[in-house]
Order: sequence, then C-alpha cells, then structure tokens
Amino acid sequence: MLGLHARLNRRDFVRLSAAGVSAAAVLGRGRPAAAASPYPDWLPASTKPPKRGGVLTRASAWDPPVIDPRLTQSVGLFQFAGLTSSRLVRYAFPEEASNAIDLTLKGDLAESWQSSPDHRRWTFKLRQGVKWQNVPPLNGRELVAADIKYCFEQYAKEGVQSFTFREIEGIETPDKYTVRIHLSSPNVLFPQNVAESVTVIFSREILEEDGDLKKRLVGTGPYILKEHTRKVRVVLQRNPDYYDTGRPYVDEYVILSTPDAATRLAAFRTGQSDILHVASLSEVETVRKTNPGVVVQSYHNTLTPFGLALAQDRAPFNDVRVRRALSMAIDRQKQVDTVFEGHGFLGWGIPYIYFQDAMPTAAQLGPWWQYKPAEGKKLLAEAGHPNGFETTLFYYEYFPQMTSQVQLVQQDLKKNLNIDVKITKLDYTTYYGRYVEGKWDGLSWGFQSGHAVGLDERTYMYMHSKSTKNFFRVNDPLIDELTTKLRRTPDRAEQRALAKKIFEREHDQVLRMWMPYDNGFLNFQPHARNAAALAIRRTDAYGSPTIARVWLDK
Amino acid sequence: MYKYVLRRMMLAIPVLLLSSLIVFSLMRVMPGDALIALMGESGNVGERELAKLRGDLGLDRPYVEQYGLWLWQMVSLNPGHSIFTNEPIAVSLRKAVPVTLELAALAMIIGLVIAVPVGVLSATRQDTPSDYVGRVVAVSGLSLPDFWLGTLVITFAAIWFHWIPPIGYVSLWESPWRNLQQFLLPAAVLGFRLSAATMRMTRSTVLEVLREDYVRTAWAKGLAGRMVVYKHALKNALIPVVTIVGGQLGVLLAGTVVVETIFALPGMGRLTVEAILYRDYPVVQTNVMLVAATLVTLNLVVDLTYAWLDPRIRYR
Repeated sequence: MLGLHARLNRRDFVRLSAAGVSAAAVLGRGRPAAAASPYPDWLPASTKPPKRGGVLTRASAWDPPVIDPRLTQSVGLFQFAGLTSSRLVRYAFPEEASNAIDLTLKGDLAESWQSSPDHRRWTFKLRQGVKWQNVPPLNGRELVAADIKYCFEQYAKEGVQSFTFREIEGIETPDKYTVRIHLSSPNVLFPQNVAESVTVIFSREILEEDGDLKKRLVGTGPYILKEHTRKVRVVLQRNPDYYDTGRPYVDEYVILSTPDAATRLAAFRTGQSDILHVASLSEVETVRKTNPGVVVQSYHNTLTPFGLALAQDRAPFNDVRVRRALSMAIDRQKQVDTVFEGHGFLGWGIPYIYFQDAMPTAAQLGPWWQYKPAEGKKLLAEAGHPNGFETTLFYYEYFPQMTSQVQLVQQDLKKNLNIDVKITKLDYTTYYGRYVEGKWDGLSWGFQSGHAVGLDERTYMYMHSKSTKNFFRVNDPLIDELTTKLRRTPDRAEQRALAKKIFEREHDQVLRMWMPYDNGFLNFQPHARNAAALAIRRTDAYGSPTIARVWLDK
Repeated sequence: MYKYVLRRMMLAIPVLLLSSLIVFSLMRVMPGDALIALMGESGNVGERELAKLRGDLGLDRPYVEQYGLWLWQMVSLNPGHSIFTNEPIAVSLRKAVPVTLELAALAMIIGLVIAVPVGVLSATRQDTPSDYVGRVVAVSGLSLPDFWLGTLVITFAAIWFHWIPPIGYVSLWESPWRNLQQFLLPAAVLGFRLSAATMRMTRSTVLEVLREDYVRTAWAKGLAGRMVVYKHALKNALIPVVTIVGGQLGVLLAGTVVVETIFALPGMGRLTVEAILYRDYPVVQTNVMLVAATLVTLNLVVDLTYAWLDPRIRYR
C-alpha cells in the first residue's frame, strides 16, 4: 500500500480517493462511514529487543494551564501527567493490545479488582512495594491504600473531577493494600471511570504543604517531573524506582511548547521533534517529501468529538421533525470529500467499539442521516416551517477545517430548507462560557470532551438529562432509562446490546447532530519504536502513558 | 529642563489612570472568566461551585472595589497573582520581559542597520536603480505581514538547510550561542518590517534636508559628499526618524506576539494574549499598564532626544 502511494503525487491521490468515494456511494450505502487511508491505523509493536537510553523530544501545541489535576482536564497537563503519575487501573498499551480498539483494562496501581454482587462496592487490591518518586517531600515512601482514599476524597471535594468521584459514598482501607469503595448507586463501569487518563493519583504531602498542586507534581509514574517552564518546556526524567522494573526505556522525555503548526512541522523535519500530528493527507505528503523515512499512522479515534448542538429544549428544535429535517439537508459526505480531502468519517456519538466491531456504515446511522434534502424540506413543512426560519450558530474554531464545515452547513441549510443561519465565531473562553451555561438559543458547534473513553462517560455522563456534562441538552426519557440501566448491567453482551439501543435512539431522535471529523495522522521518526497510538488515545496527548513503552532504535 | 521633565511626569499620571480604567472596564465587559476557561469544559463543575470559587478569588466583589484594590496593588508595586496559574505576576514578568526586550533590541538594531544606510542611499541617489531597489524593499517590508514572513522563513530554513532555530528558550546568560541562534531569525523578521517605515522616513527627510540652504552652502564650500550627508544633513534629518523609532519600540514591547508564537519565544506578547484569552484579569491589566508606562516614558525620551539632535530646541 505504501509502495503504491509513493508513486502517486498528492493531487492524484486526492483525486483517486474522491473517485473511490463517489464510486462507493453509487455502488451502495453499506460502505464504512470512513474513507480508506493509504497508511495503516495499527502499527504492531517492534519485535526487536528494546534499547535503553536516549532523549525523546516532541514539539507540542499545548501548554499546561496549571499542573493541578484537580483543576483541569486539559490535554496540556495530561500530555505528561499520565507519565509522572499512575492510576488504579489503565487501558492496555499498544504492545499488550491485540488491535487498535482493544479496550482491555489492566492493573496499574491495582493488581486486581472485583465488585460486590450489587455492583455498589468495589474492592481494589494494590500492588505491593510501589514507591512514590524519590523527591521531597515523598522521598520514595511506599504507596498505601490510604493514599488512594485521600486522593479520591480530594477529587470528590472540589474541582473538575468532582462529578466522577461524587458517586463514591465512602472508602474503606481494611489493610495497607486494600481499597474498598462504596458507591451511592450500582455502577458496573466504575473501573473504566478510574482508568481514564485524568484520574491520576497525587500525593497527600504536597497538597497539605502547598495548599494546592500548582507547583509540584509528584507521583508513582515512570517519569519524574524535572522541569516545567510555562510556554517553554516540560522535562521528564526516568524514574529509577518505577515499579515496572526495566521501564521506561527512554532516559528523558522533553516536551517543547511550540504553539505554531508550521514550526512543529519544521521541528519534525529537522529532527528536533520525534512525534508530529498532522490533520490532513496533504500534510503527510509534505512531511514525506523531506522525510521519506517517516513512519505514518492513520489515527482513528472511536468517537466524534464535534457536532451540531441544537437548543432542543425550545422551539423550533424541540420538534423532532425539525431536527430530522436539518440532518437530512446537510451533505456530510461533501464535507468528508472536500474539507477532509476524502479522509475522515461521517460521525457518531458513542464509541462504536462498545456495540460493534467495525465503524458504523452510512446506512447504519439511519434514515435521518442520509442526504435527502427534498424529504427534509417536506418534514420541515410538516413541522410548520414551509418557508424556513432564521437562527443563529456560534462556534470556536478548534481547527481550521471547522470554519469550512460551519460554512458548508450554513449553505446547505439555506439552499435546501431556506433556513438563514447567522454565524458567530467566538474566542475560546467566550464560547465555553456560553456553551456550558446551556442557555443559548439556536445552534452551536458542540463538542464532547476529548479526555474520556469509558462507556459510562460517553453515555450516562454525556446524555443523561440530570448530568452536568449533558452539554447537548439531551432530555429523552428513554435515553435516561437506558443509560441508567447500562450502569447496572455487568454482562458484556447485554452492555453491547444496550449501547446499540442508545446509539439507535440517539440517531433516530437526532439528539446530537454529529458532523464529519478526521483524527489525522501521527508521524514518527524512524528510530521511535512502540510509539503508535491505540484508537482510544493519541500518544502525544491523553495517551501519554504509552511513552513508558517507547524506545529509541539508534 | 528638569521642570519640563517633572511636568511631563505629572501629566503621565492622568494618562495612566485613564489607561487603567479602560483596560479594567474592557476586561469586565468581555464575556466569560478564567474559571470557565479552566474548568468549564470538564462539565464537572456546577454553577454553585463556580460561584464559590469566584468568591474565593474576589471576582464577585463590586467593580469599584476590585478596581480600587488593583490600583492599590499597582501603586504598591505588588500586582498580585495570576488567577489562572497562581504564579505571582512579578515572576511572570521577570521571565517574559527580558525575552521581549532582547527581541525588540535586536530587531531595532537590525532594522536601523538596514533602514538608515538604505534610506540615505535612496535619497542621495534619487531615481536611480539603487533608489528603486531601496523603495521596493521598503514597500515589501510594509506589505509583508509578520506571520507570513515568519512562517516562510522557518519553513524554508527547514527544507533548504535542514535547520531551524533551536526550540525551547534559553537565556542569554545560560547559553549565549544558543540564545543568539534562537533570536536571530525572529529579530530579522521583525527588523525587516521595522526597517521599512524608518527607511521611507529617512529617505524623505534626507531628501528634504539636502535641499536646505545650509547644505547647499556646505557643497559650495567644497566639503566631501560623505561629510555633507552624514555630518550636516543626516543629523538634522533624524528628528522624525527618532519619533518613528520611539513609537516602534513601544509597539515592539506589546506587539511581537505573532513572531513569538512562530519562533516559540515566551515573551510579553504570548503572555498577554494568553491572559486575554483566558480572562486572566490581573495579568492583562498589569501588562497593559506596563506597556502604557513604557510608551509614556519612551515619548518623553524621544522628546528629550530632539534637543540633543537639534540644539535650537530648548525645553523650559
């Protein structure tokens, strides 16, 4: 595949991709909702024996706003907090996973865990002999169950993690290595929640000495935070006392604050950076021109972070016919073909891996998600808006393609339904403030946070009408019932069936109008081994713990 | 002279007060606040909790009280802490100001080294190919935006020379050579833009001065061309140039954000823009006041320089 690609120039490639997409559209609706990529989405672990040493460097777009994990879930912090600190449980590393969508839970600080029959009590047995990093004030003391208890209680008390930890009614520590957690209601998905990359275990001593965690971050992870200079660099040094003996392999991991995309690209080209994420195929081609040895991974996340959020608690969007009409009037495939250069997928909400093995096809998204403007117009007329209406849409430009998407939606709605959309582009803080307050009218280009992958997070927390994370203002009794039931269903097959029902209900009612998205491509210098990302996390972002398994072949 | 300086300093007080009032009001008019920026996305923080945190930070106090408190902090030279990072603002400024000062100083030097000789050359060889080239360079400098030129420079440096300035700022004292590598290209980009206006001004004022009677007299006395231009004409032509340069220096202190971003330098521009985006009120307000105070001071210095350049000018 790569050989074929090497003989094509970018224009040919884009043209062929577009032709392929069109041909598939003509031939049937059963094709996947994502176009094929010339690059693999799964890079198996290296078979060579790992080498120790070296410095891994990455030019990063993000800077941590603060380093206190109670106060932010920003990728700026969690691009390294998962390396300085451990969690109770974690997801598999690429070398342990069978494929890119393997979501098997593994023990991190916990060696084993089990729940009571009613799923309200969870018992975690801790790994013995885990030491805090050998820096003051911890000085390498042993981690014990009381540390976990303290940390979780602090998370519940205040800050951005509080919602997740407030379902904890009480924590017992019957001995040094046992943590018993009592939940206020049954939740079979609790271990997934504490496996999220943001639920890192911090130390009691620092919080008590400093009053917050804004200055020091000491954990039990594979790397020690040696330097954090805002807007300059983060330097992580190998923790020689890490419980997983022999790891990590790389001596130092340096993250250089590089806000400009062109500079990050230049840094990768000149060898100043070992990992680079780019958004489009044409950018990969640009990299390959100067760095033909680059290893490219076509990154496919399992969820869509962005979609059109409608003020569905008020007219006209409280009428399902209006929501369906809008959905049918938007040509999503055009966005994939033009804005995302034929690469990318149509979009859905719940990660598909929780209810099926392959990406949903366009047909699976349901009748209201097909581009049928005439039927959409008819539905809108039935809803009492034969001549369309005026509405507003506000958004923050997370990436440049988003503005093109917003404009294409505006054009489609005007052309097909005579809906006039007045667009307002906002800065980050204004957008957040308005969006999360949830009192806006009309439309917004909504998001679901990128940090979490757990099923509970992606169903109950994002869609239940009582959840503070229900940004899309979903208020559907059936969804409430299904998401609550899911939390009480331990059987994997039944979980999948329920998740599928939620997916279908969401798409039938067009509760969240997902838009096409492209996760882009990860580029690695040829000497970086085992750096590839699983579908759930990018190595350079929330998937940073993967760095503990990276080694440099040079 | 001293009386004049004192009077100007007294006049600076209402200017600074007005600036403080404008920046304070503008920041409060902008929607959203630092807590929303920090915690809003998580969706985990309820309205009640946000209100409590706002109370802890004093953001729920009446505006008059907030303004008064901030003014007192500024007067007592203790601008407080960043809402966002909790870092003392004085510490943030100690890190950012030297970066911007170094960048500005280098850019000014490069700008002047290009602008003055080319401007003089353009003027003394009016309507010759050298003049045309000089004018094209000046117009290019005025028309090419920083972000475009900076991106181009870094991209082509990577492609052609497989080299870009080392990322990850190090101070001049830590490693002079590495620091110079980091600053040379961004300073050149800024300097090129700065040189354009100065070059145009130098050319036109030198042309004007060269037509003065005393210059004709100098020529008539048989003085060498270089002596006429550099000793008699240039010094007098420099007054408007100094005005421009003074203004440019002020702009450089606050307006290098694009170049700082492209070349990953942690200067005042990035500090201020990030603070604006995250509604970090104390940081924005302090930075704006620092720039305002610097501009007021620079204006005074420029005015005093006039007297040095032209002995006919006297301040009372």
